[in-house]
Amino acid sequence: MRISKTWSVLMYLPFLLCFILFLVVPFFYGIYISLHQWSVFGGNGGFVGLDNYTAILTPGNIYSNAFYNGLKNTLVFVAISVVPLVIISLALALLVDSIPSNLKVFFRTVFFISYAVSVTAVSAIFKWLFTGNGGYVNNVFDTFGLNTINWLNDQPSAWIAILIATVWWTIGFNMILFINALDDVDQNLYEAASLDGANSWNKFMHITFPSIKGVFVFLTIITVIASFNLYGQTLLMTAGGPSQSTQTLIMVIQQMVFNQNNLGVASAMAMVMGFVMVIIVAVQYAYSFRKE
Amino acid sequence: MKKSKGKDVFIVILASLVALLFLLPLIFMIFTSFKGLGEAMSSSALLPKEWIIDNYRSILGASAEVPVLLWLFNTGVVTLAGTALVVFVDVLAAYSLARLNLPGKKYFLGIVVAALTIPGIVTLFPAFYLFREFNLINTYVPLIVIYSANTLGVFLIYSFLKGFPKDLEEAAVIDGASLWQVLRFVIFPAIKPVVATLAVLTFLTIYNDFLWPSVVTSTDEMKTVTLGVANLVQGANFVNPGRMMAATVVATIPALIIFVAANKYFVKSVMSSGLK
Repeated sequence: MRISKTWSVLMYLPFLLCFILFLVVPFFYGIYISLHQWSVFGGNGGFVGLDNYTAILTPGNIYSNAFYNGLKNTLVFVAISVVPLVIISLALALLVDSIPSNLKVFFRTVFFISYAVSVTAVSAIFKWLFTGNGGYVNNVFDTFGLNTINWLNDQPSAWIAILIATVWWTIGFNMILFINALDDVDQNLYEAASLDGANSWNKFMHITFPSIKGVFVFLTIITVIASFNLYGQTLLMTAGGPSQSTQTLIMVIQQMVFNQNNLGVASAMAMVMGFVMVIIVAVQYAYSFRKE
Repeated sequence: MKKSKGKDVFIVILASLVALLFLLPLIFMIFTSFKGLGEAMSSSALLPKEWIIDNYRSILGASAEVPVLLWLFNTGVVTLAGTALVVFVDVLAAYSLARLNLPGKKYFLGIVVAALTIPGIVTLFPAFYLFREFNLINTYVPLIVIYSANTLGVFLIYSFLKGFPKDLEEAAVIDGASLWQVLRFVIFPAIKPVVATLAVLTFLTIYNDFLWPSVVTSTDEMKTVTLGVANLVQGANFVNPGRMMAATVVATIPALIIFVAANKYFVKSVMSSGLK
């Protein structure tokens, strides 16, 4: 089909414009801001070179203390959340896969439904489930004569509550992608394996898992990214407590902008955070697809 | 593969138990919204002993303490406009990439991947500052337009079009159809399921977004419903579980309805086509 270059460009232009205005420009502007002393209300206060970066990376000042605390807490959450978020969603997908086909759609929808709920609604629900005084979980504990737990004001219970809320909220999406991957596995392989007397575990390890490995790696990577971006649950459920142990990097950056009015340091923090994320994802990628 | 009846029953029972566990937070939300303050704070029963609708009255009535309906209206404006913008921009760009004679299109995939690796936090606050410089804080503009830079949507439709045969379009052109007619009568019906998936995913993303609206909105009147609920959870507002759950129900139901109605579009080929 012959269609002029003009039309092609015209059709592509709206997207290009949005892409440049709302992604490319802010990206380079962020780098520019991070090299300046810059406040939200006062604007550009002059070029400072790498001072903002030095401040957040050199231990012992308020910026680096906040940054390292946020980084440490964020990494704690990544460490405790990625395995359950990937493994439970895979288990759910295997469960849905083995459900008789007329009921499949129903259960798939139920397991995926929390995807439609916002982080603020999730936090509202789980905060009332877990809050120490008057929370539903403690009311139930009380009824059964168990000791109540001050979930959101103690550790590790605060992380446990946040993890449960996050698992409930996000595994549906991972599960859907796993179900799609499982549907693509060649069914003949299972038949052949059955004839050879393979049990379910053997089939999973030698047929299912190798077939879905690509999706498995992809999901692990996007789960790491999602856990790095932890913000709403901790802001709303624990407000970063107890004693700032659930203060995440994004919360630190957000406070640097709105409480400290320091866009320069906040932009430098965002750049470093982005850099750490890209490195971790690159390592994961390289490790998963290395030649054995 | 043959399966025994007994195994099927076991699987369904197991799945039902897991499903119950999954629905528990939503059941808790709905039942608590009908409980009075005293009962909600102390009861270990899910079902209210005494059903009351005061919680809904206090957020929806004429003398509502929090403007939940106004927030819902804002969310409606922002999600519909934002979704329409994304679909419009992405479909045109994807078609242009897949079929037309676009200069420099071989670089596009590289740009998509590069853009996807940029974490959102890196561009979020600079974008906020730019909107602030143009006096667009507390308007609908930043709430709508920011999502249009999403390269994933273009990629999703582009990969679908790549696998869709060109013959129909060529036949239509030979019959004298214009570019617009080809788009309207050949391409659009074919890509409808992918577009629907993109539209629903975009709709839910905008509906449920929290960080961006919280950065570019400061007045009560401009809040989206997701942001409004956040305010009820924080600080001194965190007092009445029943009322908060009523607000959460009102905030969540529209998204749940859209989700269930569109569920059939989350079909196999569509969701995975973007991954390959």
